[in-house]
Amino acid sequence: MGKKVLVVDDDPDVRLFNVTVLEEHGYTPLVATNGEEGKNLARQEKPDLVILDVLMPRESGIRLYRELKTDRTLKHIPVIMLSGIAEKSFLRSQKVLAEFGDKEVPEPEAYLEKPVEAEELAATIQKVLG
Amino acid sequence: MKTKKLLFVTKFEELGFDALKSLLGLRLAGLEHVVFVNVIERDRVAMRRGTGYNKKEEIRLRETANIRFIQWAENLFEQGLEVGVYIVVGNLVSEVIKAAQKEESDLIVIGRSQKGVLKQLYAGSDVTELLHRTATPVLVYKYMSEYSFALEKPFERPLLAIDWSPASLKAVDYLKGLAKIVREINVIHVASEKEISGSSAMDVQKTRKAKRRKLDAICDVFESEGIETRAHVYIGDPKHELEKAARECQATIIVMGSSGKTGWVERWLGSTPRHIAEKSVYPTLLIPPEKKK
Repeated sequence: MGKKVLVVDDDPDVRLFNVTVLEEHGYTPLVATNGEEGKNLARQEKPDLVILDVLMPRESGIRLYRELKTDRTLKHIPVIMLSGIAEKSFLRSQKVLAEFGDKEVPEPEAYLEKPVEAEELAATIQKVLG
Repeated sequence: MKTKKLLFVTKFEELGFDALKSLLGLRLAGLEHVVFVNVIERDRVAMRRGTGYNKKEEIRLRETANIRFIQWAENLFEQGLEVGVYIVVGNLVSEVIKAAQKEESDLIVIGRSQKGVLKQLYAGSDVTELLHRTATPVLVYKYMSEYSFALEKPFERPLLAIDWSPASLKAVDYLKGLAKIVREINVIHVASEKEISGSSAMDVQKTRKAKRRKLDAICDVFESEGIETRAHVYIGDPKHELEKAARECQATIIVMGSSGKTGWVERWLGSTPRHIAEKSVYPTLLIPPEKKK
């Protein structure tokens, strides 16, 4: 069985695209449709990698990213952010939240802006997972 | 009552990002999360003879909305706010209610109804239908509509209409929760001509005094929160008097309980909240009575 990769995205087309790329490259995809579901699945399955969208209903990827990176048991899991939101905005938001008293968190292992080509996604996953 | 999460319902023509920005003062009252909702009305993409379901148009509308929301979201994320998005095809009111329930939002912000007079008469206005089906307060926002200037602080000077209904008393609680962004509240009761038709001037004054005393008790609630408050009793048709009072008090918003009438009765006979929500130039915050959530 290949390494487990958790995909958290509310867009069914993006989920399908990610799952196809992952399966083609021998990974085992796990799928969540929002931040809450993603958090529960991450705790349950302890994936080797998380591919995370930012703009989602219920709980955004910004919140989930912080939760992953401040959870003792999950913070070692690398995260690839995959979003239409610009990387600069994501990083600024993390800075602002830290200024408001939240914990500082490290930057994600990779940041890809949507839409992404299959080869670019596969190469990034490979690079992050070593 | 805190306003932590607001649902911003937009078709883009009536409420843009500038309107949303003017509501961000709510952060001082606890706002943490903004959820954008764009509903693509079914008839814009519906099946048509010879062409079928217009999938291309759906994708175009979805992506147009998505691109706008991404820009808005980037701006809000950078201010440390949480943001969510719903772009769905369906009936506006049903989809807004679904999103409000899923998100457990504390306030729904919506523009004025865009339906024509005939359509409103038979199908009801979106605002009226929404108010009957949701237990969440609804702000009918008329940002810059008839004003020559844009509202910068819509919650600064509310005019609170009191008719002693459970919904209007709930509005008192709601405004208390906004104490940090409210500077002055004008509390008003509009008495009907009938209520003051006494046999002498003394009787009329007595009625006015009694109403005023009751309003003073509500003023005390706000004063204890540090909000400057004034009580007013107006006489006449509430639909016109509230508008007049809002102007005289230089109010920035009208706050009132929503109607207890059934949707059908309200559609045919009308109600003050519906009239104010749809006709007044002032943004209108309508608080529904406690009901199914």
